[in-house]
Amino acid sequence: MTSLPDVTPTSDDLERRAWARLFEADPDGVIACPSCDTLHVAETIAPGQVARCKRCHFTLIAPRRDTLNRTLALALTSAMLMVAMLSFPFLTLTRQGLSNEVSILGMIGGLAHGWYMLLAIVVAMFVVGVPMLRAAALIYVVWGLRQKRPPRAAREVFRLAEAMAPWAMTEVFLIGTGVALVKVAGLARVGFEEAFWIFCVMVLVLALKNASVCRWTIWTMIRERQE
Amino acid sequence: MMRASDFGWIGCHNCGAVHSKGGQTCRTCGSALHHRLPNSMQKLWAWLLTGIFFLIPANLYPLLSNEIFGHEEGHTILEGILLFAQSGDYLVAGVIFLASFVIPFFKVAVIATLALSIQHGWQLSPRLRHVLYEFVEFIGRWSMIDVFVVALLTGLVHLGAILAFLPGAGAICFALSVICTMLSAQALDAKLIWDGVTNE
Repeated sequence: MTSLPDVTPTSDDLERRAWARLFEADPDGVIACPSCDTLHVAETIAPGQVARCKRCHFTLIAPRRDTLNRTLALALTSAMLMVAMLSFPFLTLTRQGLSNEVSILGMIGGLAHGWYMLLAIVVAMFVVGVPMLRAAALIYVVWGLRQKRPPRAAREVFRLAEAMAPWAMTEVFLIGTGVALVKVAGLARVGFEEAFWIFCVMVLVLALKNASVCRWTIWTMIRERQE
Repeated sequence: MMRASDFGWIGCHNCGAVHSKGGQTCRTCGSALHHRLPNSMQKLWAWLLTGIFFLIPANLYPLLSNEIFGHEEGHTILEGILLFAQSGDYLVAGVIFLASFVIPFFKVAVIATLALSIQHGWQLSPRLRHVLYEFVEFIGRWSMIDVFVVALLTGLVHLGAILAFLPGAGAICFALSVICTMLSAQALDAKLIWDGVTNE
C-alpha cells in the first residue's frame, strides 16, 4: 500500500505562490535585499522613515524629504568647501622663531618625491580625489533627474558614485589630524588656519550629503524616467 | 522568510531589483546579474593573503622617524603607541592601539573565519556572521588613521634642522595592507552567509 501524497498546501506553499503572483504582476514591486537576498514587498514609505531588511537589517529604503534638491545643494556645497579648503593654509607650526605654514596641497606636494610619492597618492586620492569625484557624480545624476529626461549615463555614474563611498575618507583624515596634533604638541606651537576650520565644516556637509541619498529612491527614479 | 534564490530568481547585488532566471543585466541599474558573485572566495583569499603579507612588514619596519636636531629615531606601530602612553596621552594611545593594531589583526581573523565557515559549511549562527561582516565592512577604512598621521607629520613639519618627520617603510606597507583587506571584505558575497541555512 502506498501512502497518498499530502495535498493540503502548507503555509510555505502559500507564501511561495503569493510571491510568485506578486513578481508576475510587477517585478519592480519586489525587492531582494542586496545583502542577504531576502524578498520584500517594495512600498513607498514616508520621508524620514527607514525600511530595513527583516533578516539582516540592511537599509533598503530610506526616503528623505526633497531628496534631489537637498543632495544637489549639499554636494555643491561640499565641492565649494573643498576648493576653498585647498586654497587656504591648514596649520601653522612655530618653534624657536621658525615658523612653517602648510596647506593640504602643500603637504601632498611636499610628499611627492621618491617612494613617499605612494603616501602622497594615498592622501590625494582618499581625502581629496574620491570625495570630489563622488560629489561630482552625484551632482551629475541628481541634476539630470531634476530635468525631464535623465542623462544616458546616469546609471553608470550613480553606480560609480556608490562604489566610491567606502574610499572617501575625509572624516578619517580629520581624526588623523587630531592625533598628529597631539604628537607635535610638545615639540612645536600649532596654529589652526582657515583650511582647518573649512575642513571640519566640509566633513559635516559630506556626512549630511551621504545621509540625504536614498539609493532605492534614486534607482527607482532613474528606471522610471528612462523607460 | 523567502529569498530570491528559493525561486531561482536573481536579486541584483547592487540595487536589489528581482529578475527571473537567466537575466544578464539589471533593468534598473545596469549591473551584471549573478546568482552569487563569481569567484567571490578566490578574490577574497587573494586580497586577504596579500593584506596579511603586507601586515607583517607594516609592524616590523618603522612607521615614522622623527628627526630632532639631526638625531633620527624610528618607531614601529607599537613603539609609537607606547610613546603616546608614556607621555600620558591615553586617549590617543587607545585610539591608535585600536585602529592600527587591534582592528587590522581582528579584521583579518574575521574575514578568514567567515570565508572558512562558508567554504566548509560550519554551523555558525548566520546572524553572528552577518554582524561580523557588517563590522568588518564598516571599520576597514578607519585603520587609515595612522597613514594620514604619518603623511600629515611629514608634510607639515619642516622646521629646518630643528624638527622634521620622515615616513618609514612600515607606513606604505600598512596602507597597502588596509587597502587589500578592504578589497577582500568587499569581495565577499554576503548572500553566501545565508545560503544553506535552514532555520535561524
